Amino acid sequence: MSLTFADNRVVLADYVTVEEAESLLEWLLAHPQASLDLSALKHLHAANLQVLMAAGNPVSAWPADPDLAAWLRASLPTQEK
Amino acid sequence: MNPLLQEFLLEARDFLQGISEKLMALESAPDDAGLMNELFRLVHTLKGNSGLFDFPALTRVLHAAEDLMDAVRAGQVAYSTALADTLLEAMDFVAALLDEIEATGALTAEHATEAQAQAHALRALIPPTSPQEEGADGGTTQAQLASGPYALPAFPPLAELPEAVRMAAWQAAAPEVPLHGIVYVPAADSFFKGEDPFHQARHIPGLVWGRARHEGPWPALGELDCYRSELIFEAIARAPSAELIEYFRYVPDQVRIEPLPLIALVIPQGQLNGGPVYGDFVAEALAMLEAGDLAGLKSASEALLELSAAELWVSSALRWLKLLIETAPQQRQAMRRLIEALNTLTAPDWQAEDWQQVPDAPSEHEVATAEQVAPADEDRALLDAILAAQAEVLAQPDGVDWLPGRLKATAAVLRAVLSHLNDSPAALDLALEQSLAEKRSQPLAQWLAAYRERLLGQPLVAVKAASALSLPAPEPGPHTPADRPVPATAAAPRAEPVAEVRAMRPAEESAVSKVLKVDQAKIDRLMNLIGEMVVAKNGLPYLASRAEQQYGMRELAREIKAQYAVINRIAEEMQDAIMQVRMLPVSFIFQRFPRLVRDISRKLGKEVELVLEGEETEADKTIIEALAEPLIHIVRNSLDHGLEPPDVRRALGKPPVGRIILRAQQESDRVILEVCDDGKGIDAAIVKRKAYEKGLIDEARLERLSDEEAIQLIFQPGFSTAEQVSDLSGRGVGMDVVRSVVEKIGGTVSLTSRVGQGTTIRLALPLSMAVTNVMIIESHRQIFGVPMDSVIETVRLPRAAIRQIKQQKAAVLRGRIVPLASLNELLGIAAEPQANADDEFAVLVLRVSGVPVGLLVDQFREVIDVILKPLPGVLSKLTQYSGTALLGDGSVLMVINPQELFR
Repeated sequence: MSLTFADNRVVLADYVTVEEAESLLEWLLAHPQASLDLSALKHLHAANLQVLMAAGNPVSAWPADPDLAAWLRASLPTQEK
Repeated sequence: MNPLLQEFLLEARDFLQGISEKLMALESAPDDAGLMNELFRLVHTLKGNSGLFDFPALTRVLHAAEDLMDAVRAGQVAYSTALADTLLEAMDFVAALLDEIEATGALTAEHATEAQAQAHALRALIPPTSPQEEGADGGTTQAQLASGPYALPAFPPLAELPEAVRMAAWQAAAPEVPLHGIVYVPAADSFFKGEDPFHQARHIPGLVWGRARHEGPWPALGELDCYRSELIFEAIARAPSAELIEYFRYVPDQVRIEPLPLIALVIPQGQLNGGPVYGDFVAEALAMLEAGDLAGLKSASEALLELSAAELWVSSALRWLKLLIETAPQQRQAMRRLIEALNTLTAPDWQAEDWQQVPDAPSEHEVATAEQVAPADEDRALLDAILAAQAEVLAQPDGVDWLPGRLKATAAVLRAVLSHLNDSPAALDLALEQSLAEKRSQPLAQWLAAYRERLLGQPLVAVKAASALSLPAPEPGPHTPADRPVPATAAAPRAEPVAEVRAMRPAEESAVSKVLKVDQAKIDRLMNLIGEMVVAKNGLPYLASRAEQQYGMRELAREIKAQYAVINRIAEEMQDAIMQVRMLPVSFIFQRFPRLVRDISRKLGKEVELVLEGEETEADKTIIEALAEPLIHIVRNSLDHGLEPPDVRRALGKPPVGRIILRAQQESDRVILEVCDDGKGIDAAIVKRKAYEKGLIDEARLERLSDEEAIQLIFQPGFSTAEQVSDLSGRGVGMDVVRSVVEKIGGTVSLTSRVGQGTTIRLALPLSMAVTNVMIIESHRQIFGVPMDSVIETVRLPRAAIRQIKQQKAAVLRGRIVPLASLNELLGIAAEPQANADDEFAVLVLRVSGVPVGLLVDQFREVIDVILKPLPGVLSKLTQYSGTALLGDGSVLMVINPQELFR
């Protein structure tokens, strides 16, 4: 499972597939204040990207993958943590 | 080339031929619904078939054609010559694609552009809502054609991008590889199609920068449909446009690829509250630039940069200046303008005409687009011509019935011009509405006059930028070069390009097909005729012997025999040739397996590697066709019961990916098909126990059975119906069906298996069913044929060797007991088998369902090739016979079916 839900934090790791978009969306709906830990993320399906963009939760850790980090920093709504 | 593809190409040409015939026929009978349906069906099938292959360009055009035909069929569009022309052109394009596929086996990416244009031309004929307006002079078509690809949002203004991004792009650029701005809007349902647009976007070749965005604010999170894509991807890539088009070849209608003029990246940004301090610097810097002292200029700007706050506009400009000095020292003109801009604190207008015309410092961008300057001028003239023509149209008196049509047509042309110039058509639409409401041309004419004025005052650059767009431009035909500027198409007199294309239409130069498609019935007839000829030929030796024995003409007999040899040779060759015609490679059935295996293994959660071997092996069409079902069955069994799930395999020390080998080879006159897997194999002990429990074997047999024999039990009919088969380590499901099918076509099935190592099922089939090799036997003065396939051996047994065990006769042959049966008894002939002079009986040992059985007959005769004909009509119920054959002397030979005989 590439999604790990903690109290008020969701960790996205490795590859988040399209099937997981729904659970991600539901969890974010229930936890609007949650922060995103993307440090171990390598890729996420566009459906998940869309969810993150729409939800606009703060990112507590950007991906280590510089290429992905650049994309996400440019795409996710900027928000001070 | 892949035979499936070959077949497709063959068929596609037929379809194209059919399509043009139907179109021609429709020309004389445009209301014929039957013809129209037929035409739709042809286009539809062709499109469907093309979808099997990886030729998106081909499928796209056909898809558009199908949509158009659908609209025509539904009466939304009236059939017209223009429509036929567009369709024919599209079909010519398809034919050209087919030629290329045939020649090279693939399509190059550049066809995507043409395909797009063709598809748009076709779709342009489909009215979005109501039937097409009367009176439109075809302008609508052209306009929609031009506007099609531009429905996507434009690349965002470069100023929106952060300076760091632009600087990175600047540094990434190189003269030989242009920068491109890409806007990629995935289809809303793309997630359902299994696409990952983000993945696609991340792997754009030469990607420099990218982001995803959403048009407008996001809906509330609760209303978001996470499986409906609303994303827009924007990216800058440093790659040739051809490569980018190739990369997006599956979604050309979802991307917009624009060349980014490099110099346009240079946009200083920041807070504008600078001071007059910079006045001195500007003068100094310009002087240094004049003197060519770039090093001095650089250190001066660095010094100033250190003094200024980083977020100031001035700092940004200085940073750009520094970058220019470092990376593009030849860009003096650009540097001068940047320095001068420090005075005004406004970004240099890189699009101003004087900049474009500076001769001494051509920017990299200009080098890249230099060739397009001339067409741009031409564009201007053409655009003017178009606008003037529209003004003329609008100047005609109002108050005619077709005024709305005229207005709409004009507006459509204008809209095309606007979209070509990347202008918003909002004002135009307003004017059109007003005109339509008031039923007079004036509002539209006014707008046009104002627009012309504005356009003439505008610099060339916008036009140039638009014409440099690498997005597909509508083309009138397949033969026009792809880089032809758009307006040429939109504006040129309509008749001309059509005529030009007509001249190139490949109707006259059509390639003569070397392949003949023949109805199978004709081949079968030929086959029968040859069969009769073989029979007739076989009569000659009889004739020869009669000539010799009855009439005592030895010489004549010899001549007849010599003649017979010649005819025999020719007949055999003919037979062989016909056989070749009916031969199909096994790849015909193998082809479906990769997909099948993939689907099933997914479903079962197993990882499987399928290896196909000997696909080119050939066998008769009937054999190949009959084999498809059993093979699928066997492979499915292997997947289901044979191969273990990956984790089990890993635990066993096997590679996690299972392997199934489908192998075909020819062994003398048989085709051998093998399905091998490296799964768990069949445990003979379990099979034995199950068979015993099912009552298929008795206790005694249970003890006697060797493991080898035991696993053959899975072919027993009763065995497969057991519901626990899947518990069993073996296959079992329907294996009896497999065997009966294979035996029906004269083949045999054998199975070898080693526990833990896998199972191999081997099908041996005749190459052809046309000629059967039979042994003639005699019993009670009648002759019968027995297929040689089932004959193991012929032996002569002394009467004493035959034992009577209860009612059953048996004999010990080569150390094992073989049950014996008398043919007379089986056929209900009231006669005892005849022994020969030495009191020996002739026993034909046959393999029946894998087990040897002895058949007591009176006499063995020769082995001959016969053309086996199935029993006709009511007689076909006599399953003990597989058919009849005509012998050379005119007598009829009944050929026994041993499987049924012993049932």
